[in-house]
Amino acid sequence: MALPKRIIKETERLMAEPVPGISAVPHEDNLRYFDVHIHGPSQSPYEGGVFKLELFLPDDYPMTPPKIRFLTKIYHPNIDRLGRICLDVLKSNWSPALQIRTILLSIQALLGAPNPDDPLANDVAQRWKEDQNAAIETARQWTQEHAKP
Amino acid sequence: MKYGQWFKQRLKNDGFPPDWVDSAISYSQLKKCINKLTAELASVGLDAATLSKLLKHVEEYNTSTAAQDADDGSRSFEYILADNHANDASSKKPRTPFHPKLLFHVNESTGEILGANLDDKTRKNLQMLAVETGLTELRVFEEPDTDSIASSDSASCTSNKKAGYRTVEVPLTSDSEFFSTLATELSGLEQLQDREEKRMHNEIEGLGRQVARMTDPDRKSNRRLLAVWREIFQVYIESDIFFGHTESDHAAHNADKATERFQKFCNTIATQGLVDKIKKPEGLRALNTFMHINREILQGLRFGEINHTAMLKILKKFDKQTALGVKSSFPQRLEYPEFSEHLAKATCAELNNQILSSIPQLEDYSCPMCMELKWRPVRLRCGHTFCIRCLIVMQTDKQHNCPLCREKTVVDACSDNLDLELADFLKKWFPDEVKAKQKYNELMAGVDQYGEVYKERCVVM
Ligand SMILES: [Zn+2]
Ligand SMILES: [Zn+2]
Repeated sequence: MALPKRIIKETERLMAEPVPGISAVPHEDNLRYFDVHIHGPSQSPYEGGVFKLELFLPDDYPMTPPKIRFLTKIYHPNIDRLGRICLDVLKSNWSPALQIRTILLSIQALLGAPNPDDPLANDVAQRWKEDQNAAIETARQWTQEHAKP
Repeated sequence: MKYGQWFKQRLKNDGFPPDWVDSAISYSQLKKCINKLTAELASVGLDAATLSKLLKHVEEYNTSTAAQDADDGSRSFEYILADNHANDASSKKPRTPFHPKLLFHVNESTGEILGANLDDKTRKNLQMLAVETGLTELRVFEEPDTDSIASSDSASCTSNKKAGYRTVEVPLTSDSEFFSTLATELSGLEQLQDREEKRMHNEIEGLGRQVARMTDPDRKSNRRLLAVWREIFQVYIESDIFFGHTESDHAAHNADKATERFQKFCNTIATQGLVDKIKKPEGLRALNTFMHINREILQGLRFGEINHTAMLKILKKFDKQTALGVKSSFPQRLEYPEFSEHLAKATCAELNNQILSSIPQLEDYSCPMCMELKWRPVRLRCGHTFCIRCLIVMQTDKQHNCPLCREKTVVDACSDNLDLELADFLKKWFPDEVKAKQKYNELMAGVDQYGEVYKERCVVM
C-alpha cells in the first residue's frame, strides 16, 4: 500500500527541521516504523541520558494514534517495565490533528514533569509519592546505567 | 588587519551605493578624535592608568547616586556624557546633545582633592597635579544656581554640590567632537534607513502588481505560470532566508547566514528547472527584480552589521585609551538604529504582503488530517474545514469530535456543510491539485463501496 501523503510530509519535516533533543528516523524497509531518540531534559533526573524508543504508525493513522514505547530502561512513574507510556494524548485524548512531532514533544515534556498521580508503573509511582527524593535519585542512577549515549 | 582598515576596504569593495558609504561611521576620523583627546588628558597628567583609578564609573554612579552624600568613596572624578543622565524610560532615544564633562571636586580653601580613601601614591599624584597646575590651568567654576538654567531639566543631578567644595571641570574639547560626530552619523544612518525603506517599498509594490498580473488565474494562459511562480515562492518561503521559524532556529539571521540561505534558494530553483520554465521575458524580468530586492536586503544587512561593529569598536577604543568608561552608558543615550534587522524585517513583511500573498500557497489550504489540498472542502459547525474524504473517514470511524477543537461537530456534518465559496477559490487557484484529489476521492469512494479489490483493479487498469 502506498504511503499516505501525510506520513511523507511529516517525515520530511522531521528530517528537515528536527525538534531540538529529539530525532526520529524511519526504517528504510518500513516507512511507518521509526527509531526515536529523546535526550533527557536538563534539570530532570534524566538529564544526560539518551533514550531510545520505537514508534509505529498503524494503517489507520491518523485516525488512531501512533504506537510508541521506550526501548531504553527508564525509572518513571508514567512508564512501565515494558516501556509503555501513560500519556492521555496517546489514548483517549488523541486527535487526528496531532502529529508525530507533537507527540514526541509531549513525551519529552513528560520526562521533565513526571506525574505520579496518573501512574502506569504502580510501584514506581508509589515510591515517587512516598519518597520523592529517593525516587529521583533512582531515576538518575538508572539514567547513568542504561541511558548513556 | 586592523579593524579600521578592514572596515574601509569593505566600504570600498563590497559594492555599497555611494550614498551609503557617505553615511557610514567615520571610523578613522573618530580614531583621530581619540588620539587628540588622549593628548589633552596627558597634558594635565591624566593617562588611562591614573584615570581608571580615580574615575567613578557610570554604573556605580547610577546605582549610588542616592547614597552618594553618605559615601563618596575614593573615586572623586566623574565623567558624564550629558547634563541629565537620569534616563527617562519613556523617551526611548534621548536626543539631547552631548555635553561630556570630566569633573572632580576640590576643597575650596585648601585645593585638596576630595576623596577620603585615596592611597598614598594616588594622593601624592593628585597633589602633584594640583601643585603643577596650581589650579590655574584648570577651570574652576561656581556651581550654577539651578534657576539660572531653568530652561533645561538638567541641573538636578549634574553633580552634588558640597559645602566647601568646588566642582572642577577638566578642559577637554576632543571628546565633544567625538560624540557629536558619532551622534550625527547615527542619525544619518537612521535617515538612510528610512529612505531605503520607502524606496524598497515602492519597488516591491511595483513587482507585486506585475506578479499578480502574470499569475491572474482568470486568464487561462496564466495557468501554467501560476504553478511555476507558486513553486518558486514555496521554495523561497521554505528557505527561511532572513528569519528562521523552527524550534531550533527562530531568530533573525545575520548577513552571512542569510547570504548562504539565499544562495541555496537560487541553486534550488535553478536545479529544479523553475527558472527555465518562465519563458516569457516579462516573467524573467520580474524574477530578476525579485532576486535584486533580496540582494539589496542582504546588502543592507551587511552594511548595518559592519557599521554596528564599527561603532562598538570605536567606543571600546575610546575607553581603552582614556579609561573614561563610556561603552556601557553611550548606548543608553543613543541607540544604534538597528539598520540591518529593521530593514530586513520591514522588507520581508512587504514582500509577504505584496507578492507572496498574491499567490495562495498550498500549505494554507491543506487539510489538517491528510495534509493534501482540502478538496472538497467541508466546513464544520465549529468553523474548521477538512476535505470531504477525511470527514467520511471520521464519520465511518465514529469519531464525533473535531480533531482541532474537539467540539462535537463531525457527527452531524452533511452535504450542507460543503463550503462552496472555498471550493470555487480552490478550483481557481489550485486546478492541478483539485484534479488529482478529485480522482483520489472517487477512487476511495469506490473502495468504500466495493472493497480493496476495486482499488487494485483500478490501478491495474
Ligand atoms: Zn483530508
Ligand atoms: Zn473544530
